[in-house]
Amino acid sequence: MPDSAFDPASLAQLLALPFMQRALLAGLLTGLLGGVLGSFAVLRQLSFFSDALGHSALLGISLGVLLGLNPTLVLIPFAVLFALGVNHLAGRSQLPTDALLNIVYSSSLALAVLLLSRVRSYKGGIQQLLFGDILGVSWLDLAVILLLLLGAGGYLLLTRRSQILLTIDEPLAISRGVAAGWHRLVFIVVLAVVVAISIKAVGVLLISAFVVIPACASRLVSRGFGTYVLVAALLGASCAVVGLLASGALDLPSGPSVVVVQLLGFLLALLVAPRRRFARP
Amino acid sequence: MAEMILEVSHLTVCREGSTVVDDVSFSLEAESDTALVGPNGAGKSTLVQAVLGILPRRGGQVRLLGHPLGARGQLPAAVRDQVAYLPQTIALRGRFPLSVAEFVALGWERAGLAVPWRGRRVRRQAVAVALEKVGGEDLAERLVSDLSTGQLKRALLAFCVVRPRRLLVLDEAQAGLDAQAAEQFHGLLFDLRRSEGWTILQVSHDLEMVRRTCSGVLCLNRSLRCSGSPDHALSPAQLERLYGRGWVPYHHHHPGVSRS
Repeated sequence: MPDSAFDPASLAQLLALPFMQRALLAGLLTGLLGGVLGSFAVLRQLSFFSDALGHSALLGISLGVLLGLNPTLVLIPFAVLFALGVNHLAGRSQLPTDALLNIVYSSSLALAVLLLSRVRSYKGGIQQLLFGDILGVSWLDLAVILLLLLGAGGYLLLTRRSQILLTIDEPLAISRGVAAGWHRLVFIVVLAVVVAISIKAVGVLLISAFVVIPACASRLVSRGFGTYVLVAALLGASCAVVGLLASGALDLPSGPSVVVVQLLGFLLALLVAPRRRFARP
Repeated sequence: MAEMILEVSHLTVCREGSTVVDDVSFSLEAESDTALVGPNGAGKSTLVQAVLGILPRRGGQVRLLGHPLGARGQLPAAVRDQVAYLPQTIALRGRFPLSVAEFVALGWERAGLAVPWRGRRVRRQAVAVALEKVGGEDLAERLVSDLSTGQLKRALLAFCVVRPRRLLVLDEAQAGLDAQAAEQFHGLLFDLRRSEGWTILQVSHDLEMVRRTCSGVLCLNRSLRCSGSPDHALSPAQLERLYGRGWVPYHHHHPGVSRS
């Protein structure tokens, strides 16, 4: 971390600014949320799914703009419907899921840009949608993220046994009485809502990094499931805070700064991860 | 009359439009050890998965410990607790951050909502005892994804034995094990069956092991072709009916074990 580049005085000034405080809180909460959900999503091979969700969210936003509705209000139902639709398609079609998701995300990106090009008056600008605007987060946004964190965290905590069994092996989970179809669906809906809510702060292009990178770093070093989820959540939160502080002090774009700090965390995990564990065929 | 642990009547299962298991009926008495044999593609795995509610059935009824299995695999939690399933393998891709102790603990926990710390002390004790029973004390802190096939089978057995069960369903438990490891696994299973009072239904290709250890045999090739004692169901004439003409029985050589 380029600690030496921080000027303590300007950092203190920065921390005194309400928008910076909100941004730090938003980063902390989104980081926690991404880490917790991501630890399950990564093991269930849903990391690309969260990426596709992020891209499709842009389509949701542009639809909202076109229809003259509040984009955030349109976004959540759109993301949920979209996730359910893709989940259904992936179960039915004969194509590999990654190929299907690729079709879905590139075409929704294309459609979204086409739609937005028809609306010249849109003041947000596509740049903000792509990379997020964590400095523009309001107290209301924060409250929504906090509620979501409590809801998703509580759900995963109480259904922990089912979630882990389902992540290990579906037939084994069903044989232990886990309602596999139902839990899989709820998880995908929660993931979709989290991605949709986090778009404003993190942006369409970077949201999947919040879900995937801290969880992958934790996966490399953790010796048990409890520590795995905890380390992913803490890593997500701390990378967000450090990234935001660095972006403020060095006057860099905030979302990308956070992702670069996450990358550094991941590289560190790669370095300390015991080698022999890669050897398993 | 002995207690019936599993009753299957007129079970029919379809997969991708074709009938894979056709009108199969049988029942298992308490503490019996029954093998399900048949050629590849005979529907053995499909049958056991349908019996457990993992796969949906097209028709027929299944009763586990006297309780009917719901159309979508529903079963009272108290009954589920007493039935355990050992799949052929669990496919974990890449590093899976779950210790063996945590995995076995999942077998102890009951269905439904619960905070992770509920019953922690009892659970830890049960996990330690289960690992001891399968000779896997040294595996507790290992990651499930780091285990060899033989060690994974032990971990799965510990997952089953961590709570008292009545019925154990094994799908080709010896798959992926070399001859010696398979022998060890079956020795362990045989001992546990007696000490735990398990009723066992196992899919198997090892007819020699079936002859030596099982009390009953079900021969399946889409429908039930024959059933009964190993001597009867695995006679050359029955095997030819099941596997087709020209089938050459494959025997492991077991010194000191006489064959009928």
